[in-house]
Amino acid sequence: MIVVEHFEARLVKLARKGEQTAFAELVELYKDKIFHLAYRMLSNRHEAEDIVQETFLRVYKNFDRYDDKQKFSTWIYRIATNLCIDRLRKRKPNYYLDAGMNDQDGVDGYALIPGDDRTPETEYLLSETQQTIHKAIEGLPAKYKSVIILRYLQELSLQEISDVLEMPVTTVKTRVHRGREFLRKKLEHKFL
Amino acid sequence: MDCKQASSLMHDFLDDDLPHEQALELKQHLQACPSCDALYRELEQTEMLMFATIKHTAIKADDELVDRIMHQIPRQYDRQPFPKWVRRHPALTAAALFLVVMLFSAVSMWDKGEDLVVKTAESNQSQLIIEGKTVTVPEGVSIAGNLTIENGDVQILGEVQGNLTVIDGSYYQASTAHIAGEIKSIDQALDWIWYRISNVFTEVAYR
Repeated sequence: MIVVEHFEARLVKLARKGEQTAFAELVELYKDKIFHLAYRMLSNRHEAEDIVQETFLRVYKNFDRYDDKQKFSTWIYRIATNLCIDRLRKRKPNYYLDAGMNDQDGVDGYALIPGDDRTPETEYLLSETQQTIHKAIEGLPAKYKSVIILRYLQELSLQEISDVLEMPVTTVKTRVHRGREFLRKKLEHKFL
Repeated sequence: MDCKQASSLMHDFLDDDLPHEQALELKQHLQACPSCDALYRELEQTEMLMFATIKHTAIKADDELVDRIMHQIPRQYDRQPFPKWVRRHPALTAAALFLVVMLFSAVSMWDKGEDLVVKTAESNQSQLIIEGKTVTVPEGVSIAGNLTIENGDVQILGEVQGNLTVIDGSYYQASTAHIAGEIKSIDQALDWIWYRISNVFTEVAYR
């Protein structure tokens, strides 16, 4: 673990100086983690890819603002989760989609959205158990979602989550507890 | 310990955040209370299920995503070094820019004319003999002031009271000739540029 962190710190240092290959290594190291995080947050592949791209661009542009006393992972997760939360906030409320159009009978907003048949089930060959869990996470209220995803997906400690989300540890704790309770209720009749 | 308190401790325990003594108390309560025991088992299973499934679902970004990102980066990277240098050496940049502009305008002026140009005071013009590209100051004629010939040769048989300047051409001075001022013959680009530059300064100075 120490070796990995040391290696990462060196990469960050080089990338900050403008070393392209070092930056590419960092992208390679983090792209899947960021993608997975964004995908769990947004449940949409295209949007998740956008987030990954945007995250690395911000990292690159704001390298001079990165304080190397903190972990690079904390910093990059913060950028990514903030972008995801912004994205969730900007989403139009769903009822607009459900409302029928005035001039055309039987056509609602859904008809205008290009279909994406690449659902997680078909794309990642998820088993039924995995699908159930994926749906349970998807159903989490946004403020628990980020905490839960950072906790289980990235296996961050409560302290690290509080650093990433810039909120007190006690708040993080409450959210983990509520989120866990929520998930338990969703899953209790299925597996437990 | 009541059941509400117990449920909060269960979460702390799952977070690895419960001191040993309290963990023991919790365990005692669970052994005594079947409903809390069931709840704890469910929470623990949820916890394990989450860790296990999420880790095992390999959700990966497209490989071409890296290329896309790296394509966006270099474009910004290339743009930077030049302005940085400019910001650091403003005086040098201004000087370089000035030289470049001067050079271009001088070169463009150098290329411009192939035609014979004769510059002198108007009263002198009728006294000069111009044949093709050769300008002659006939014997016994006196040119008041300066005479400048561009793109042509000049033959001096008479007198020039000012300076004689020949650009891109040659001059011939007969034994009868008399030139009061300086004689300048310019046929190299560099000389010519220098002449232009010093001309600009003298013109500015006398204006």
